[in-house]
Amino acid sequence: MENTDKSLIDAHRRGDPTAFGELVRRYGDSVLGYLIRMSGNREQAEDLFQETFKRVHEKAHTFRGPQFKGWLFQIATRVALDGFRQGKRIKAVSLNQQLDCNNPNSDQLGAVAVVDNSYNPSEQALKAEQAEQVRQAIQLLPERQRATLVLAYYQQLSYSDVAKVLGCSVGTVKTQMFRALKTLAQKLPEI
Amino acid sequence: MENHLTENELIEYRFGLSSQEQQSISSEHLAGCAECRERLEQLIKKFAALDLLREDTHVSEELISEVLEQAGQPVHRKIVPFYKSPWTGAVAAALVACFVLLMSNLNIDKSTQQQFAREPKSEDKIASKGPGAKGESQADSPMKIIAQDTESKIQMPFTGESTSESISEQLPFAPASAIELVTLPRRDKVQLTIYKSADLTLVRERRNLTLKKGWNWLQFMWANTLIDPTSLSLEPLEQAGKIDIQQLVFPARLRELGRWLIRSEISGQVPFEITYFTSGLSWRAFYMGTLSQNEKTMKMQGYVRLGNNSGEDYDNAQTRLIVGQVHILDEIAQLARRQYPYDRPGIIDYDESAFKKGVSVTNEEYQTGRLGQRQNWFADLKAKEIKKEGLSEYFLYTIDGTETIPNEWGKRLLSFEADDIAVESLYKYDEERWGNQAIRFVKFTNDDKHNLGQTPIPNGDVKIYSYADEQSYLSYVGGTEIKYIPVDEKVELNLGPARLVKIEPKLMDFKTENYIFDNRANVSGWDEIRSWKIEITNTRTLPIQIEITRGFGTAYWTLQSETTYEKYDATHARFILELEPRSKQTLEYTVRTYHGTREESLTE
Repeated sequence: MENTDKSLIDAHRRGDPTAFGELVRRYGDSVLGYLIRMSGNREQAEDLFQETFKRVHEKAHTFRGPQFKGWLFQIATRVALDGFRQGKRIKAVSLNQQLDCNNPNSDQLGAVAVVDNSYNPSEQALKAEQAEQVRQAIQLLPERQRATLVLAYYQQLSYSDVAKVLGCSVGTVKTQMFRALKTLAQKLPEI
Repeated sequence: MENHLTENELIEYRFGLSSQEQQSISSEHLAGCAECRERLEQLIKKFAALDLLREDTHVSEELISEVLEQAGQPVHRKIVPFYKSPWTGAVAAALVACFVLLMSNLNIDKSTQQQFAREPKSEDKIASKGPGAKGESQADSPMKIIAQDTESKIQMPFTGESTSESISEQLPFAPASAIELVTLPRRDKVQLTIYKSADLTLVRERRNLTLKKGWNWLQFMWANTLIDPTSLSLEPLEQAGKIDIQQLVFPARLRELGRWLIRSEISGQVPFEITYFTSGLSWRAFYMGTLSQNEKTMKMQGYVRLGNNSGEDYDNAQTRLIVGQVHILDEIAQLARRQYPYDRPGIIDYDESAFKKGVSVTNEEYQTGRLGQRQNWFADLKAKEIKKEGLSEYFLYTIDGTETIPNEWGKRLLSFEADDIAVESLYKYDEERWGNQAIRFVKFTNDDKHNLGQTPIPNGDVKIYSYADEQSYLSYVGGTEIKYIPVDEKVELNLGPARLVKIEPKLMDFKTENYIFDNRANVSGWDEIRSWKIEITNTRTLPIQIEITRGFGTAYWTLQSETTYEKYDATHARFILELEPRSKQTLEYTVRTYHGTREESLTE
C-alpha cells in the first residue's frame, strides 16, 4: 500500500531518510512542470525546483496538513515569485547553457514545446512556432494571473485549491483567471 | 434567439468561472442557440492552443539527486551489477588497468604529475551546474568570461607547438549551438586606473585563456555592471603572431554580452589582456591634522577612500588614482547602460532606481562567500604606501601592492603621513566676507620645509584636531574642504569662527568737508572722514596673530593710523596685529574718502 503524503512528511520529520526522496519523486514532475510554465525557462525552473524542495525540507515541521500538494505548490509559488523578482536584478547564465545565436530562446523553450514526431518537419516547425507564441503570451501575463492560469489549467487544481495556494479568495482567483483568459484570447495563435 | 451570450460569458462558462446559477442559464441558452454554440466551439478551439504547452515534464534523476544532496538526504542511486552488463564490466576493467598504469608512472616524473594535478580545477568548475555552483567568486560575479571553441572539446596544456592540421578559412557564423566549454579563466592580474573627475576607470585584466587550434569564441558578459561595452579590447600577451583577434560581435537579441572570434594556430593556455572602461569606481581624499599644544606644528595624515559601485568585484587589483581633469566625450555610466547594438554614443533613458537595485543584489551564498574573503582582507589590512608620479596634466597615485575592492564596499588607505609641519595659526576679520566674527585659519606650505611637497595634494575634506591637554586628549578644532594644492603652494585652512577672539569695531567720528560746487552751485565733490576704533580681545592662553581687513567702498581713500597697514587692494586696507595671551589691543585709524570731483584731487 502506497504511503500517504501525510505519512511521508511525518516520517521525514521523524528522520526517515527515504521519505523526503519519495516525496520529491512523487511531486517532482508536476512541480517542475509548474515552474517551467511559470518561468518559461527550464534552467531557471530547475533552480527554483531545488529551492522549493530545500524550503520544503527546512519547513517540514511547519506543515499542518491536510493537503501536502497545496502546501507544496504554495511554497513553489512563493519561491517562483521571489525568484522572478531576483531574476530581474541578477541575470546569470549557466556555463552549460545551450547557446544558439539564431534562436536566443532555444534554451528556454525546448522543455515545454510539444514536438510530435507524427508531424512532418514543416508541421513540426509550425507547431514549435505556435508553442513559442503561447509561451510568450503566458509569459506576458502578470505573475499572479500566470500563476493562477498554470495552477488551474495545467496543474488542474480546483479554484479553491488555487486560492489556498495563492493565499487569496476563490473570487479573486476567478477574477485573475478571467483576466488571464481575456488577455490570452487576444494573443493565442490560431491552430 | 435574442440576448446571445457575450464573449465574457462564454469564457466564464467554458472555464467554470461564473456562479452555478449563471452556469445553468448559459447552459440552457447554449442548448437552444446554435450561433452561441458555434462561438463557444471557436473559443474552445482558440484556447486549445494552450495545450501546445501541456507536455509531461520529467525530473531528471540528476536533479533529484541534487535536491536530496542539498537536503542532506542519502541519494538513491541505481546500481548496475557488472555481471548483468558485460560492457560495463569491460569499462570497469579498462579503468582498473588505467589506474594500475597511472600508479606505475607515479615515480617516473613527479613534477609532471603535479602539474597535471593542478589542471582539472577549471574542469571541476565546468562540470558543476552554472548558476547554482558555489565556492568560486568568478561564478557569482555578474561579469563573466566564457571561452568556447568550435572545434575541440578537450582541454590540454599549452605545448608551444602548432599542429600541422589546417584551419578552415571560413569564418564561423556563430558559436556552436552546444557550447563546448574550454575553461573559465579567473583574472590573474587586474589593474584599475581611476579617474576621479570623470567617473571613469580603466580596467586592465590579465587572464589565461585556453585556446584550441582553429576558431575560438570568447564570450564576455557585463550584466548588472557599469562596463562600457564599446571600450572592450582584447590582446594576446604571448604568441601574438599565431593568434588573431578577428572581431567582437554583439549578438542580436542576446543582451549584455559580446563575443570575440579568435583564430588560433596553437592549442593551449595563452595570457590575454582585456581592457575596458567602467564607471562606478571612485575615490576621494581626506585629511586629518593634529595641532600640537602650542599650535606651532601639525601632524597630518592623508587618506584615500576607494569606493566600488561598479557592479563588479575586483580582487587583488593594483589600483592607481588619477588627479586632474580628463576630457571625455560621454559619461561611461551612460555608455554602460546603452542597449544593443552599442554602435554609437548617445543619451539613453534608463530606470535609475531599477539599475541601482540591480547592482545591489547578491544571493545568500554569494554574501556568505564574499564575507569570508572580506574578513580575510580585513585581517591583512596594513598600511600601504601610495606612490605618486606626474603624468602630463594629471598626477598619478599608485597604491602599493594590491587591493581587493568588492562591489558596494569602500576601503580607506593611508596616502601620506607628515609630522612636525610648521604651521601658523592666524585669525582673520573681514566684515564683508564673514560678518562681525573672526575666523580661524591654519597656514602652511606644501613644500620640503614643511615636510611636505613630494606631490600635489588632491582636494578633499580636512579635519583639524588639537591636543587639549598634557594627557594628549584631542579636541576637534574645525574642518573644511581644501582644493587641489600644487607643490610649493601656500595653504590656508579655514577652521571656522573663533569664539575666543573678539573684534569690536566702533565708528567714533564722522564728518564731511572740502565741498566743491559746480557752476549752478550744486555740490560736485566732498570728503568723508571717519574715525574708527577697533577693540581686539584675545581670551586664549596662546599668543595670536590677527589680520583685519577694512573696506572703504571706493578706490579714493587715504588712511591715517599709528598701526602699520598695507593697501590690500584698491578699496581695502589690511592691518596685522600680534596679541599676547589674554590681552586686549585697540586699533585706531581715520580714513578719508574722496567723492565726486574731489576724487581728482587724489590723482593729481
